[in-house]
Amino acid sequence: MRVKWIIKYIILTGLLFPLLMMIGWSITSGWSWPSLIPQGFTFRAYSYVLEPTTGVFKILINSMILSIVVTALTLLVSIPAARAIAFYDFKGKSVVKVLILLPLIVPMLTVAMGVHLRFIQVGLANTFWGVVLIHVIPGIPYGVKILLNVFELNGNKIETHARILGASPLQVIRYVTLPLITPGLIIAGSIIYIASFSQYFITFLIGGGRIVTYAMFLFPFVESGDRTMASALSIVFILSITLVLFITEKIVGNFYEKSSRYYV
Amino acid sequence: MRKKIKPYIMLIPVMVFILGIFIVGIVSGLLQSFGYFPAIGLKTLTLQYYKDVLSSPSFIRALRFSFSTSFISSLVAVVLGVLFSYLLLYDRRRKGGPLVNIYKVPIIVPHTIAALLIFILFTQSGWVARLMYHLGFIEDMKYFKPLIFDRQGLGVIMAYVWKGLPFITLVTFDILRSVENKYAKTAANLGANHFQVFWYILLPLILPTVASGFIIIFAFSFGAFEIPYLLGPSTPKALPILSYIHYNSVNLADRPYAMVINMCIALCGFITVGLYVLTFQFIKKYNNQ
Repeated sequence: MRVKWIIKYIILTGLLFPLLMMIGWSITSGWSWPSLIPQGFTFRAYSYVLEPTTGVFKILINSMILSIVVTALTLLVSIPAARAIAFYDFKGKSVVKVLILLPLIVPMLTVAMGVHLRFIQVGLANTFWGVVLIHVIPGIPYGVKILLNVFELNGNKIETHARILGASPLQVIRYVTLPLITPGLIIAGSIIYIASFSQYFITFLIGGGRIVTYAMFLFPFVESGDRTMASALSIVFILSITLVLFITEKIVGNFYEKSSRYYV
Repeated sequence: MRKKIKPYIMLIPVMVFILGIFIVGIVSGLLQSFGYFPAIGLKTLTLQYYKDVLSSPSFIRALRFSFSTSFISSLVAVVLGVLFSYLLLYDRRRKGGPLVNIYKVPIIVPHTIAALLIFILFTQSGWVARLMYHLGFIEDMKYFKPLIFDRQGLGVIMAYVWKGLPFITLVTFDILRSVENKYAKTAANLGANHFQVFWYILLPLILPTVASGFIIIFAFSFGAFEIPYLLGPSTPKALPILSYIHYNSVNLADRPYAMVINMCIALCGFITVGLYVLTFQFIKKYNNQ
């Protein structure tokens, strides 16, 4: 029993200790060899990130907007696709399923380099929408698969009942389907948002350096080994993701509660 | 009739992305890898680029480096991830314990930051080197054998394990719990010990999930740019980096070389999935007999 306990905490330490080190680096004013703990304390790196004149904060906001657009678009195309697979039998269903899961296997590097020239030809390269479109691809397998599970679990009986009782198609969507799939939407949306917000390579390739996301801004700091700045930027990165996930859950949770209060 | 067409209509939006961007990207890359690149006047199909790439020593070294780092890191992540999942299972009596959620933090941390964490810990002036110094193992940082930028790719492996382990735990934990509820107690009742319960009951039942988790992290690490770029050695280079160097070359005629490498990366993913499917078909047949 003791051994189990020890192994568990060794793994947990391995996962969390590096993050602790990063927090230490982000708030130190000097941490020279061979000290094991930070020597001075300062918030200078954070004030650089949050000060309006440096423009970092603006990049952060723009980046969040981009990833929110990506998430909304991905979910929007995933919902009907998941419904079609869950509730209909049609020719080529297995091919469709494979096609949708394929982005998990074929790296985005291959896809982005291949499609780059087309994007240049149609004027999508180096634009906001070009980056959005390429970010949607890796999210599709997660969006469709998670929503497919939700639809298969719930079935479409409740929706049929609502229709029989005289609800219009729009009412069914608003009062039945949406509340039913909300938990799935939150999970899928979170994964898609995190994946999009973290993309470095494909943003850099398709955005051509013109579209600067926060992940792209962070990269050179890590590359040059600037531990203090890179750590502070990273912590803001992680906090911003946590904040967005938290707010989404709260807002959607409220909506969910309100709609289900009357109808369930 | 309407009923027949409806699912296809519902699939149109997703297919616009899958066929219009994803497949177009792969097919354009494939054509370019065979030397069909009308934008710079190359219009004849040839296998020359494949011959050139496959016979170049730098490609072979890169393939070996990418394969070994991806395979080792995915394997370690899967073994430790399942083990951790199993250990967490017996933790649930203390409900709401922080353990159950706090291990998920690395999942929301991007690969760039994972690389930074490994850098902070394992560089020559990093924390581990300092610890070694205080414990008296080394006299100065220059004696610390760097674990990053090394030829074996230890830093790359550590970063991928750090990212992959909690992912595997996340995907196996729920299924492990439901399987455990159903069968483990029965087995234990019949006299199986902890190891037997795990090895003969739990593991076979969660194996499909574990295997698909392995494929996802393996295929990802095989084709990802960030971590080998930030933590890998300058030689051998990982495949994605080698590909990008060809792609970014001033000479556009070098692009087919990048596409050949990209196709090899994609092919390795397909081979892994093929092995997965074959293995499970084999197991099914074997069990039915």
